[in-house]
Amino acid sequence: MTHLIQTFSQPFLVCLTMVIILGYMGIHVLQREVIFIDIALAQIAVVGAIVAHVTFGVHGDSMLSYACAFGVTLIASIFYSLVRKKVNQIPLEAVIGVSYAIAAAAALFLVGVAPGGHIHVQQMLAGSILWATWRDVLLCVVVFSVVGCCFYIFRGPFKEISDNYENALKKGIKVVWWDLFFYALFGIVITLAVRIGGVVVIFALLIIPATVSALFSSSFGKRLVIGGAVGIVATIAGFLFANRFDFSIGSAISLFLGGSLVIAVFFRICLKLITARRDYGG
Amino acid sequence: MPEVIRFFTIQIIFLAVVLILHTYLGLHVIRRTIIFSDLVLDQLAAFGALVGIGIGIRYGTPSSYLVSLVAVLFGAFLLAVFKPRNKLIPREAIIGIMYAVALALSLLVADKLSGGETYVTKTLSGCMLWVTWPLVIVTIIAYVALLLFHYKFRHKFIGLTEKNVEIKNEKFWDFLFFTTQGIITVLVVPIAGVLLAYAFLMIPAAIVAMFTRKWASAVAIGWGIGFMACLAGLFASYFFDLPYGPSLVLSLGGVFVCAVIIRIVLPQKD
Repeated sequence: MTHLIQTFSQPFLVCLTMVIILGYMGIHVLQREVIFIDIALAQIAVVGAIVAHVTFGVHGDSMLSYACAFGVTLIASIFYSLVRKKVNQIPLEAVIGVSYAIAAAAALFLVGVAPGGHIHVQQMLAGSILWATWRDVLLCVVVFSVVGCCFYIFRGPFKEISDNYENALKKGIKVVWWDLFFYALFGIVITLAVRIGGVVVIFALLIIPATVSALFSSSFGKRLVIGGAVGIVATIAGFLFANRFDFSIGSAISLFLGGSLVIAVFFRICLKLITARRDYGG
Repeated sequence: MPEVIRFFTIQIIFLAVVLILHTYLGLHVIRRTIIFSDLVLDQLAAFGALVGIGIGIRYGTPSSYLVSLVAVLFGAFLLAVFKPRNKLIPREAIIGIMYAVALALSLLVADKLSGGETYVTKTLSGCMLWVTWPLVIVTIIAYVALLLFHYKFRHKFIGLTEKNVEIKNEKFWDFLFFTTQGIITVLVVPIAGVLLAYAFLMIPAAIVAMFTRKWASAVAIGWGIGFMACLAGLFASYFFDLPYGPSLVLSLGGVFVCAVIIRIVLPQKD
């Protein structure tokens, strides 16, 4: 047990910070119907990190690498904000989906010539949570707290746009600028989270808790609590499973999150049946 | 026939055939906002191939295709059945979650295969350079059959997307739609890889959907644009010795970015 706590304390704390921030952002993502945004921005950040590596020869954990990764996600954020306002023939989700393909191809293009490219590709998908250090924990706490504060302070316009874009436009909210700010904050979180956790688990932590919570409540606050609880339980189960059967942690957590959704749907159906039976009986 | 001419002939025919049906299906996918559906099926095909390797079936053999097909048909069934009624949960979210689970399963299987990371990359980037005549012929036959099927029942499929007519057995037609997507996935993913297969489906359709709502002209123009972009990628890859799949996707992506910029600068007046 002591060994387990010693090995997993840093990775678990990192996951905990991610559960909180991604749980919040996930609700916005579902409302805006931009499910792909996380995977796309993650891939774009990876391209930035690879460009930094190829151009400056820096390691993925250096400040310069983070700066390059954030720089390209910022460009993508500008692109998405403009497209949302100006291009109404296709959904923003389609544009984000295509930008994912382009970014993934660019990443493969760049690592295609580099030795050890295969391992790099799998690592950016599966991540390396197990090797998270105290520095990573501190970085996550600081960065996610700052971003969380921004989300809290500017929750009004963000929620207005997420709830109804057209209404926000009519009210005179500067949607392009707020969208740019939203996606830039998103980019900061994703750049850091994906470097530690990998694409798969970050996507699962973003979408699945928010989806599960929507099954039980429409109130933002309640959804945050339900989503947080689901995220934490799935994370603990994922750690124990990965430790017992020697699998990568990120993929294991994603599977348990998927499982939690199946259980939640089943639970919801049972609840409905019980209520219907009670009403019928009454 | 000199080797270079043989290589280009086979590649060009393959691209020309593949792009027709992909553009048409891509238009459905974009107009219904089920962008992740293709990635789910692509990833399940890759998962099937990885499981096949795990039980001793060589990658790219008919048995490997069969395992992929089973995984993909299961995915098509799930995609047709799961339609959330809760307004807070978009259908795309459920499809996205299915993708994440399929990807996580693939990575877990790859964890247990020796050289698993090589297979993960291979399923992503494919081995399009190994396209052979028998493969092209099989692909042409399958694609023509699927095209005829879609043409015959076009009112049903377009009705599902446009939501302008009442379709009986909606889930059944949805299943057939995803099965078509699944079959072309199984045929194309081992050759083109997940990314290029996804790009074939999404990019030409996304480009053309920004400029027209008519189905026939959209398919024709989308095919033309996609084909030209792929040719540019193919020649760049061959003559400058660049990675094949990524070159084609980037070439298609370049055209897409130009089209979006045109739409931003010249917004359509509805």
